[in-house]
Amino acid sequence: MIRHRCRLFIASIAILACGLPADAQEREPETRAEALRREREEKATRLTPPDPNRLERALLDLENGRLFERLLSPAEGLYPKIGTITAGSGLAVGPGYRASHRLGGAVDFSAFAMGSIKKYWIADARVQLPRLLNERLGLDAHVQTYDFQEELFFGIGPDSARADLVHYGLRNTIVGGSAAVRPTSWLTISGGADFLNPRIESATDDEDYISTRFDDVTAPGLADQPDFMRYQSAVDVNYREPRGNPRAGGRYLFTYQRFDDLDRNTYSFQRAEVDLQQYVPLLRDRRILALRGLVSVSEADDGARIPFFYQRTLGGPDDLRGFHRLRFRDNHALLLQAEYRWEIFTAVDGAIFYDTGKVASRVEDLNLRDLESDYGFGFRFGNANSVFLRIEAAFGSRGGTHFVFRFNNVF
Amino acid sequence: MSSRAVRSVWSPALAGLLAIGIAASPALSPRAATPRFFPDDPIQVDDDRALDASGAKEIQGSNGYDFVEHTFLDPGDTRDIRAVNVNTIDEVPDSSWFTNRIGRREMTVAEIVRGPNQRETVDFDDWPIVQEKSSGITPGYRVRDPAGQLYQVKFDPPAHPGMATAAEVIGAAIYHALGYNVVPGYIIDVDPARIVIAPTATTVDLSGQKRSMTRTDVEKLLARGARLPNGKYRATLSQFAPGAGLGYFKYYGTRPDDPNDIHPHEHRRELRASRVFAAWLNHDDSRGINSLDMLEGPKGGPGFIRHYMFDFGSIMGSGSTKAQTLRAGNEYILEWGPSLKTLATLGLYVRPWIRTRYWEEAKAVGRFEGDAFDPVAWRPEYPNPAFENMRADDAFWGARLVARFSDEAIRAIVAKGQYTEPGAADHIATTLIKRRDKVLRAWLTGVNPLTEPQLSGDGSLTFRNEAVAARVSSPASRYAFAWSRFDNATGSTSGTVETSTTEARATAPSAVLNGAQFVSVAVKTSHPDYPGWEAPVTFTFRRVSNGWQPVGIDRTVPPRNR
Repeated sequence: MIRHRCRLFIASIAILACGLPADAQEREPETRAEALRREREEKATRLTPPDPNRLERALLDLENGRLFERLLSPAEGLYPKIGTITAGSGLAVGPGYRASHRLGGAVDFSAFAMGSIKKYWIADARVQLPRLLNERLGLDAHVQTYDFQEELFFGIGPDSARADLVHYGLRNTIVGGSAAVRPTSWLTISGGADFLNPRIESATDDEDYISTRFDDVTAPGLADQPDFMRYQSAVDVNYREPRGNPRAGGRYLFTYQRFDDLDRNTYSFQRAEVDLQQYVPLLRDRRILALRGLVSVSEADDGARIPFFYQRTLGGPDDLRGFHRLRFRDNHALLLQAEYRWEIFTAVDGAIFYDTGKVASRVEDLNLRDLESDYGFGFRFGNANSVFLRIEAAFGSRGGTHFVFRFNNVF
Repeated sequence: MSSRAVRSVWSPALAGLLAIGIAASPALSPRAATPRFFPDDPIQVDDDRALDASGAKEIQGSNGYDFVEHTFLDPGDTRDIRAVNVNTIDEVPDSSWFTNRIGRREMTVAEIVRGPNQRETVDFDDWPIVQEKSSGITPGYRVRDPAGQLYQVKFDPPAHPGMATAAEVIGAAIYHALGYNVVPGYIIDVDPARIVIAPTATTVDLSGQKRSMTRTDVEKLLARGARLPNGKYRATLSQFAPGAGLGYFKYYGTRPDDPNDIHPHEHRRELRASRVFAAWLNHDDSRGINSLDMLEGPKGGPGFIRHYMFDFGSIMGSGSTKAQTLRAGNEYILEWGPSLKTLATLGLYVRPWIRTRYWEEAKAVGRFEGDAFDPVAWRPEYPNPAFENMRADDAFWGARLVARFSDEAIRAIVAKGQYTEPGAADHIATTLIKRRDKVLRAWLTGVNPLTEPQLSGDGSLTFRNEAVAARVSSPASRYAFAWSRFDNATGSTSGTVETSTTEARATAPSAVLNGAQFVSVAVKTSHPDYPGWEAPVTFTFRRVSNGWQPVGIDRTVPPRNR
């Protein structure tokens, strides 16, 4: 007991000693106000300026420079454009420029140029008058040139073999214009004409170049490529909400295109497409059932053929995701897609999907037999109005497992 | 632990020595303040303007960093301790942060409604635009009146005319009455034909370059605003606070360049308890970025920093530029538990708030409801260190202020929002009343709810049961009192006498009062629905010339859930 008390005594002395102020002779404050003032006076001796850490400074600089806005929603001025040029181009970057409401507020101008890590590049400039007749009428004039260096070709038809994979380069310049009438917010009727100057070329000198395995018979248009005039009209019924990341509504797009061979009329053809999308909101839009059906039918003029580089293709990150891009091509195509999307948290949605479809040389073969298909899951990163990153894994196809990394929504 | 219990275990000398040591230990008593009560306790004003803060620099806020820091880094001191800026009767003294208004005195309904505004209306036509609004998501610009005073104009979103503007002025009135510093604000209808752009007006384009502001810029802004049937645009006109802007305050730590700022913000009572008010109003955007520090004082001379609550455009179901999201107030932007459950079940797990129904009969009303509202489960956009530190006594203090808003006052404040659609004002007011009542039931009952002790010269003790007064509880069945003499030098008690009553009044034993300079009484409240009220609240009184002055209120607080 005595030992216990001794321990307590020593402990008490120690605690008391720790509790003494540094200057034990200092007079204790006599009022609460004085005690608080002393604390403030003590702090006044060690003031320092605010010192944000490195991450805070970096994020502040990004926000003050409006980099995110310039990347994600550029409206004015020079901005860095980041994304993909086309499926398979890889990550592309380049300068972009936008000027809106010029010449009395009626004219918008935009231009960009991008190059990718796979040496794809594109340059695009357009002048638009989107607000004519109280925004009921829009006019557009554009010029675009691109070089896709390493496009894939497996042959034509649904039975093309994966082992026949070869490459080709596609260079094209497009100059044209269009007009669009919008009687209502959900209906757009448009028409336009473009001059096209496609050229097939070898991007590499290796043995996988298309002409080493295919010729102008098995790949129409391979031997020479004429210039084209493309005329197109479309009716677009679009009541998706919101447009950039739909959670409800639908889009029904009917397109007719006429390609006129300007040289010898060897490759003139016409195409009609119906692209139907429907979004079924579940649980207050927190779950979405997204459905898509696309039918594309092309017909060559008498004695003409449809060039392989303008045939409808399936395969890749936007349609049959379990296959190589451009895996199937022919004159006609059928695509059916279904996705179930669910919100995981504010900026991230999950998705599981099923894609199926086929290409065909005859319209009567566009049926539900012998469809290619895949399934998979993925994540979408974005906000209520846009998807800026899509990561997916697709399985179940005879093309093996494929991973998708894209800067857009699938549909 | 009572002094009697101490004696039974420890020898008096050792126990006393140990008690003094603990009391003096800086870790446990940061201010080394002895005696327990100073002559000026309880202080009503904390003079945090005394020292010169004119050397303080602006703190710029990053939205992204604020989210990252509070979501992943858990900043601030998380100890479960009593708020450090309360006085000895558990109240918040007036300071540069807070001025007791509705909590200290009766405010007329007109006074509450007027809020921080000095004028009924403003004639703002022809005040020139001097700058485009530089921060936030709401479209707007800044104008200057003939006297040189700067104002900010913010518009309603096109799809919800009247929504954000009403929220702004209602929120400002309520937060002002509560005691916070807020800037004056008015609802105005802007006539595009009367807009004047100063020749020196500037805007910043997306490349970050400052340039002259043009009519086209204004038209673009108006295109993002709600156009009324008469061709005008509904907006708020908010007066700039006096002084020089120093950025914002964080909800943790102190400003390192302000000598007056000594109380860690996460331990300030009025910041902790602002969670109560934010929950009531669904102010999910209640974060540091939406605060304001202003340096007041003569130019070039000494100054002090006043701290403001700022931007109420996204309360009461308004999301500033759209109706508030379903998640707002129910879950953080990133909350791992429900997110992982949703991920793992492919969405078969449905968060309860997804099914909540809202009244959608008026465009000026966003998503605001009171039936599913759970004040305790309420969440801001992401964790707020002060909110996280809120204890039951902080919440009780906040709920007492909320209880001061009568139905009549709430309806009058809502009328200030100038809702024009049928049913809109009634829905907002009814929902505020419903949510207020839930706030009171949740947080007036979380501690032994006794306040306002008075001990008369003849020894009669009265006090107020806040839960009973607010009609969220039936009267207590019994009050038990442990009366003691209190030694102000040591903080110890002696001569304890126990009594009990069935009413909120008692008589002090003369044996305790006679000759005492300080007495304390620990009161336990018995109520079948609230067993937690058995945890005593201790009132301490000091003898003064005409009786007894209450100098101490100490609550026993349950451990914080964090």
